[in-house]
Amino acid sequence: MEPNRAASDQTGLGATKTKIHFKVTRFIMEAGVKLGLRSIPVATACTIYHSFFTATVASGPYDPYLVAMAALYLAGKVEEQHLRTRDIINVSHRYLHPQSDPLELDSHFWELRDSIVQCELLMLRVLGFRVSFRHPHKYLLHYLLSLRQWMNRHSWERTPVSAAAWALLRDSYHGGLCVRYPPQHVAVAVLYLALHCYGVEVPAHAQAQRPWWQVFSEDLSQTQIDQIVLDLIQIYTLDAEIS
Amino acid sequence: MLCEKKGGSTRFFFIFLRKEKRIDNIEIQHFIAKKADLLFALSWKPNVSTDSESNEENEDCYAVMPPLEQFMEVPSEDRRELFFRDIERGDVVIGRISSIREFGFFMVLICLGSGVVREISQLEITALCPLRDVPSHSSHGDPLSYYQTGDIIQAAIKDIDRYHEKLTISLHSSALPPSLSSTKLGVISSEDLPLHYRRSVEVASTSETYEKVLHHSLGFANPSVVEFLLGKLGLSESSPPSLMRGLQSKNFNEEDFAFALRKKQSASWALKCVKIGVDYFKVGRHVEAMNEYNKALEIDPQNVEALVARGALYATKGSLNKAIDDFEVALKNCPTHRNARKYLCQTLVERGGQLEEEDNLLNAQNYYKRALILDETFKEAEDALLKLRKHMQKSLEMREKQAAKEERQKEKKIETSAQKLRKLLKEEKR
Repeated sequence: MEPNRAASDQTGLGATKTKIHFKVTRFIMEAGVKLGLRSIPVATACTIYHSFFTATVASGPYDPYLVAMAALYLAGKVEEQHLRTRDIINVSHRYLHPQSDPLELDSHFWELRDSIVQCELLMLRVLGFRVSFRHPHKYLLHYLLSLRQWMNRHSWERTPVSAAAWALLRDSYHGGLCVRYPPQHVAVAVLYLALHCYGVEVPAHAQAQRPWWQVFSEDLSQTQIDQIVLDLIQIYTLDAEIS
Repeated sequence: MLCEKKGGSTRFFFIFLRKEKRIDNIEIQHFIAKKADLLFALSWKPNVSTDSESNEENEDCYAVMPPLEQFMEVPSEDRRELFFRDIERGDVVIGRISSIREFGFFMVLICLGSGVVREISQLEITALCPLRDVPSHSSHGDPLSYYQTGDIIQAAIKDIDRYHEKLTISLHSSALPPSLSSTKLGVISSEDLPLHYRRSVEVASTSETYEKVLHHSLGFANPSVVEFLLGKLGLSESSPPSLMRGLQSKNFNEEDFAFALRKKQSASWALKCVKIGVDYFKVGRHVEAMNEYNKALEIDPQNVEALVARGALYATKGSLNKAIDDFEVALKNCPTHRNARKYLCQTLVERGGQLEEEDNLLNAQNYYKRALILDETFKEAEDALLKLRKHMQKSLEMREKQAAKEERQKEKKIETSAQKLRKLLKEEKR
């Protein structure tokens, strides 16, 4: 297929895909909460999910929800917070069929379990067994700590910059920021937006030789930050459209 | 805006730039407006106390970094101004004694202690420690004689004159806030200098970037670094924040969580086994029935139906004690379970009967009493208890009679011996 035609054909399809991926990553995030999964494993699950669908461009016959369930299972193993397939199946089944009773221990249940395990192996092969990622979280937390030291302690206490930045970072996994940008850049962009939300100015920002965000990541430019922030805001716009 | 046509291209260019920036800002402004309530709500989250944890710099747990302003290269006047704006009474400072007078000593500040990180060593900020704030090291003699210029001192800030940029410090622990009361004040060695300061000195000479320092730090590779820093920053993993409306914690229902679903499912699976087991029991296949009940209890160890069914099976087979144990656990988990209570009562009475036959009367009585406590209307237990009491009364009376009889027999025996003795003596007398 010629690339140009494919691109124009794909725009309509692309938008649908983005919506599907949004919905399914929302499922991953919700399931993460219900399974008691920590932020990093949830991020890994979403990244695995996004990477899988980036790698297999042909959308194929893959059921995105099954891929998501397998991603959760695999992420639990990778990040040492092991989940049991039974719990994943229970939570997912209830999500897709609200108010229903949990499944009986019958052949249907075992088939589902088999599907997850098979899908996990498929995913591993598609991703070349590269399933451990560097996430923005570690960077963001250190940036927050450094910033906190520099700010006046009372202003810091009054404005929940940490919580907002953390929320923005978690929410960003609805889109594919994690696969498009390096972790340090995402961390800075998220912090940048959080500060903007509360109108917080970093002390001596104008007088310093180097802006704070460039300290954290030297190869970052204002334009790049703006682009990531825009991408992030678009995820929220998409949320409003879908709901 | 763009409708301004006068001026050269430069002006237009600046207007264009401004407009672009405004677009970006407009997007952000819209975003902030839409999320205003959630952003505001975040500030009401219960603040997990970040100061309760000691402000110690634990290099193993996270990457301890030099001050941010050092990397930003903030001019010294601004650093000085911000220092005097932000410093507070009770903060710990570290400095080098520059001169000692009769009224106290002066020191030039090197850095801050107690976890506060600022770049101040080049700012030549002096602080005075008055004589009365120097603890004495011997009962007489000048407390100041203990100190020399060049000593590195850790002290607490006692007073700040922000306008005149004057600091008064103290070496008494009373000047410290309660959270820092264990901080050692007085002379310290250069090894005691905080890690962030030592790193800061290194960076000053090597000009490493922030990221390089971060990556070289051992703490950065700590597998639990995220957990640790979340605690330090007061963020929680258990109800994580979000700016998506659908992910707010109030939208989540406990019943949809993995734990609740698993419990419900286990109960359902166990019940299936119990049903199969009961069917086996009804046709007398006790071994298979027991297997099913045990299977059920493996899936759901506190399952009431399984416990009651197994208890009934035990009772039928005569293992009354095991039956009683099962019924009691069942009743504890579900105090309103009628069958559990009924069967338990019956089994208790039956066991009591067994004990009575073995003549273990007191124990038997206990069992009857227990049955009555569970169900005061349980006629059988009441009857059994009364019968037992009568029996006990009778046997008590019998025993008393017997004892009296034995007593008399004993006395008789004694009399006979006494008589014999008298006889003997009488004979002797002759």
